[in-house]
Amino acid sequence: MNKLFPTYEVGSLPKLNSRVKAVRGQPATDEEINNVKTLARRCSVEYNEIVDILETQRREQRKLTTEEISALTDFNALLCIKLQESVGLDIVYDGESRRVEMYQHVANRVDGFEKTPEMIRSRGPDSWRMAVCVSEPRLKDDSLDGLVIEEFDFVLQHAVQTVKVPIDDPYMIAVMSDNRYYLESLNPQYGNDPHKLRYEAKRAFTLALASNVIRPQVEAVVERGAKWVQLDIPAATLDIEHIPILVEGVNAVVDGIDNVKFSLHICYPRRVSLTDKSGYELLFPAILELDPNINHISLELANADQYEKDLAVFAQYRDQRQFELGVGVVDITLEQQQRGKIETPEIVRSRIIRAAETLGDPKLVYVAPDCGLRQLNLDRCLQLYELMVEGADLARRG
Amino acid sequence: MIFGAYLTGSFGQSQELYKVRNEAKRGRGSEISIAERVKKDTQQIIRQQRDACLDFVMDPMFNFFYIFQPFAQNVNGVEVGPQENWFNNNVFFWRPQIHGQLDVQTGFTEKYIHLDELPMDGNAMVVLPSPYSLLVLSDVTGYLDRKAAMTNLAEVLYAEAQHLASMGIKRIQYDEPAIVVKQSLGSLTEEDLLLLRRGMEVCGDVRGATTSLHTYFGDAGPIIPYLLSLPVNCIGIDGTETSLADIVKYDYSGKEVALGLLDARNTSLENPHEIAEQLKMIAERTHPIKLWLTPNTGTEYRGFTHGAKKLELLSLVRRMLHE
Repeated sequence: MNKLFPTYEVGSLPKLNSRVKAVRGQPATDEEINNVKTLARRCSVEYNEIVDILETQRREQRKLTTEEISALTDFNALLCIKLQESVGLDIVYDGESRRVEMYQHVANRVDGFEKTPEMIRSRGPDSWRMAVCVSEPRLKDDSLDGLVIEEFDFVLQHAVQTVKVPIDDPYMIAVMSDNRYYLESLNPQYGNDPHKLRYEAKRAFTLALASNVIRPQVEAVVERGAKWVQLDIPAATLDIEHIPILVEGVNAVVDGIDNVKFSLHICYPRRVSLTDKSGYELLFPAILELDPNINHISLELANADQYEKDLAVFAQYRDQRQFELGVGVVDITLEQQQRGKIETPEIVRSRIIRAAETLGDPKLVYVAPDCGLRQLNLDRCLQLYELMVEGADLARRG
Repeated sequence: MIFGAYLTGSFGQSQELYKVRNEAKRGRGSEISIAERVKKDTQQIIRQQRDACLDFVMDPMFNFFYIFQPFAQNVNGVEVGPQENWFNNNVFFWRPQIHGQLDVQTGFTEKYIHLDELPMDGNAMVVLPSPYSLLVLSDVTGYLDRKAAMTNLAEVLYAEAQHLASMGIKRIQYDEPAIVVKQSLGSLTEEDLLLLRRGMEVCGDVRGATTSLHTYFGDAGPIIPYLLSLPVNCIGIDGTETSLADIVKYDYSGKEVALGLLDARNTSLENPHEIAEQLKMIAERTHPIKLWLTPNTGTEYRGFTHGAKKLELLSLVRRMLHE
């Protein structure tokens, strides 16, 4: 991209309340319907049909038809694309508005996975439905359409700006799942060395996911015209000893797929690792072995706001491997929203400039939020996007 | 009887508890409904522990989001810091920000556990963080050096342990993942070992209760002799990270040993006969005062149902060993 400091979204946006409620059979309020109109007007999206569906459902107190649900889903996706474009983002997607949640979206479509009976607690009260791997994981028949093809075709049809497709990375799926199958399968071989058993079992699991579950998605969107695919690995530094597995997994996904830009999204690195490294340093030197097709990494940085320290390692290894970096310039945590705190364009500008100076080359810097935004309210998401765009404009001026 | 069994940490949440918490998060529920659900689930798990004849009975810690929470949220001079992954789990804690020197203060754990539900007449256990893990996983300022910080944190934890013992708690388990994780990562130093020793010298001996230093998430093998030299009644070893060959290398005379042979982070169910035979062999070769079978860590990582299955397994193996 010729433009300096291009801006992009990382992944998710919150779904429209009115859509979520309507699909559940609950009537949307006047405020929610008005919100739909306001948002749609803001980005010049036609909304009469959608408002009609919402009002009819409310009046008749009935369940939505499949066609109505589909129309609402398409509308939500279109709104996300057009809101991003109207704000001025250079690279867009649909806010993952067709996905129930990033992990579940994939896990639900894998043969060899069973669900835990309960949601597993993760962060405070936040929980996720863990999948238990009970046999070699494979995509269920005909699952690619719902997984990625329909949404990608829709985005490609409607987006004016460059499209970047976010897809879960195999290592992330492995980390969030129970690895019963491979731990049991490899126990006879490595049972005497539990440490080795864990490593080899996770490696086997990750590589199976890479070839059977993730790569088919990437191939499908590339075949249909995708030019930029982002693999999401929030858990990259979770297990310091297993980072080489992550690299193997990514490489197995992208190997031999040419003429496509591949990037990784990584966030919330271990700040206290109990080793002499912390943060993104933990990824090195392992990520030097990433397939040459991976030339871009998106990083959460604003939350800690230590750009010089966090990016120093990328500068340090620049002679061996140079990555473009999507620098997180806005903090997307719920805590910041609850505190009513938000960056200013000047802060964003400063973060961009600091990143460019640390990396020694402004052309390496893309501008992004720290992570996906689904836990925030939509107004705040748009404010954050605006800040990114304004801050990048200021940074371009010097 | 040398053999026994007990749980060692937070129990997996029920779907009902998830639901009430989720409703509250979305503004549709209340703290009261959460407290009621927590109480109900707590009663059930305590009853199941008693029915299983476990040798120590603990609150299942449904009020905890992370082990440092009571300390971080209630001790004067401590604030809740940024979130961080809890070791290699997709679970988070918030780093305590400790602005020492802390005054000794007690009672900060009480509102998180259900003392009124625990059997206070003999075998109730409470889990506290070990001072070493607390130190190295916190942001610490205001002390002359790390040893001074260690001493102060251990004093605060000791006072809390003593307070709980005075109320009838008979077992204090100090959770110590960091030392064995550092060992596994190759970053363990002499200073780390001295710091943990200093901490346990301060808080390892509690009047009226026995103490256990429970290590997990890492390979204890190379430091078992060191752990045995610490002033605690029991050492806990993660049997899913530490090889059996290392475990049986040493003589545990004079110590209790809690062996985490049941993997709380895997839904596979271990073979009870194999576990029982392993325990017999280990006891015969290593001579501990007591050999406890435990899960390696809390069952929170796989939820209520799988936690209950591990609890049943504990009970089954215990019964087999007592027959």
